[in-house]
Amino acid sequence: MTPKANAKLSDLIPPQTVALGKADAQVRLTRQDDCIQILLPDPEVAGSSWLELWDSLKQRLHNTEAFWKSGAIAKLWAGKHLLDSRQLQAIADALAKVRLDLRWVVTARRQTAVAAAGSGFSVEQITPKAPDQPTPDLASSAEYWAEPLYVKSTLRSGQEVSHPGTVIVCGDTNPGSTIVAAGDIIVLGRLRGIAHAGSQGNAACQIFALRMEAMQLRIAQSLARPPEADPDQLYPEMAYLTESGIRLAPADNFFKTHRFAIDQNIWLDSA
Amino acid sequence: MTRIIVVTSGKGGVGKTTMTANLGSAIAKRGHKIALVDADFGLRNLDLLLGLENRVVYTAIEAIAGDCRLEQALVRDKRQPNLALLPAAQNRNKEAVNPEQMKKLVLQLAEKFDYILVDCPAGIELGFRNAIVAAQEAIIVTTPEVTAVRDADRVIGLLEANDITNIRLIVNRIRPEMVQLQNMMSVEDVLEILAVPLLGVVPDDERIITSSNRGEPIALSTEQSLPAIAFNNIVRRLEGEDIPVLDLVATHNTLLNRIRRLFRK
Repeated sequence: MTPKANAKLSDLIPPQTVALGKADAQVRLTRQDDCIQILLPDPEVAGSSWLELWDSLKQRLHNTEAFWKSGAIAKLWAGKHLLDSRQLQAIADALAKVRLDLRWVVTARRQTAVAAAGSGFSVEQITPKAPDQPTPDLASSAEYWAEPLYVKSTLRSGQEVSHPGTVIVCGDTNPGSTIVAAGDIIVLGRLRGIAHAGSQGNAACQIFALRMEAMQLRIAQSLARPPEADPDQLYPEMAYLTESGIRLAPADNFFKTHRFAIDQNIWLDSA
Repeated sequence: MTRIIVVTSGKGGVGKTTMTANLGSAIAKRGHKIALVDADFGLRNLDLLLGLENRVVYTAIEAIAGDCRLEQALVRDKRQPNLALLPAAQNRNKEAVNPEQMKKLVLQLAEKFDYILVDCPAGIELGFRNAIVAAQEAIIVTTPEVTAVRDADRVIGLLEANDITNIRLIVNRIRPEMVQLQNMMSVEDVLEILAVPLLGVVPDDERIITSSNRGEPIALSTEQSLPAIAFNNIVRRLEGEDIPVLDLVATHNTLLNRIRRLFRK
């Protein structure tokens, strides 16, 4: 399987760079002490439409495996989102379904604070800044990544997961889906959508899939389109960044044959 | 307990309304009380397929606005006393109703029927939200084309996000001879991407078009046909019976086709 294995992907399209991803384009769930933090995306990045916010929240709750105890207390970081009491109640109900108890609402908007207080939540009004947000230039470095995100379902067309850390998908990602991760992307299934690893600019990030049938691969600022899939040779593959663009290699021996050159900021074939 | 099922697809023109009319008729024929709800406001078609256009007096809009009682808006089918249709308004658009009103309406209907089938409009905007708001189950209709499958995939994701997890698939308009020659996606190809349980397969058949134009659902036709068998089998599966899916391709696995396939490779 060796000759074709190192297929150079970037030959197929003119050299092209992609913009780096935005770290907080989606709803995120993190734990701080015993409290589950629900971070709503910045409306200036993700748009302020309630329907989209609602879909994004529901999708995240549907995809995320519960990492909390039943009845854990939840704190909603609404940031600059303008939410009325009916919308806050809808969020509380959605959280109750996954056994989270919404008690706190943190907001930068006075109207949201009033609505939340009126609905019986504890309110904290702040200047808009979610907890421990690294600045963008630091966000590419692994020590600032969020905990890995496990997606335990099929990622379907139109669904987008963007996460400031590594994303692990236990299932397929279908054509039309997008994963944007500040860290690595690991797909334990078929990768058929778009995958962008190292979205904050980290060139060491990799994309691994049991079956690499991606529509497009992006690592840091590079972009590649895999050749038309040849069904007889689909084995677990690793996509990584070299001097000449993104390449694919069989995954089983990858770390024996490749090393990351920190000074050049690319992967080198040491074999 | 009334079963509220939405028939949806994402893409237009894959046969949602035809499917709703035929499944509805077949369910009614089995003795269940069923209401078909046309949620395609502004582009209503379901009354045409059932041949009930001339009986529509009030529509869902009037029922929601309180201009008539819900019973007055319901149109009884001329052949099946168990079947009723709640027509959509033709002179309004999809923004005329919001999901809360729609939910209230469908739940009110649910008190009097065993089944409610909601015919969803194409797209994923407000009309789609209205159609799915009260549903507990969904039937996805797709054709074996990449565009239809892609849109179906998107819709399944949205249904799951809205807590509808009982989702089953009907592959419509299969042309066995084309599948056989590998010119068309097979049912297996579709299932491989969508990964939801298969409820049935309906072959492409000219008789469906003629029956649609006549307003006589083919599922009720006395003359036996493959599509009619397929529709009736789907309904039996919906009711929990274990019936194998028609093997449409097998009848086309002739010697001639095998030779043709050999030369294509």
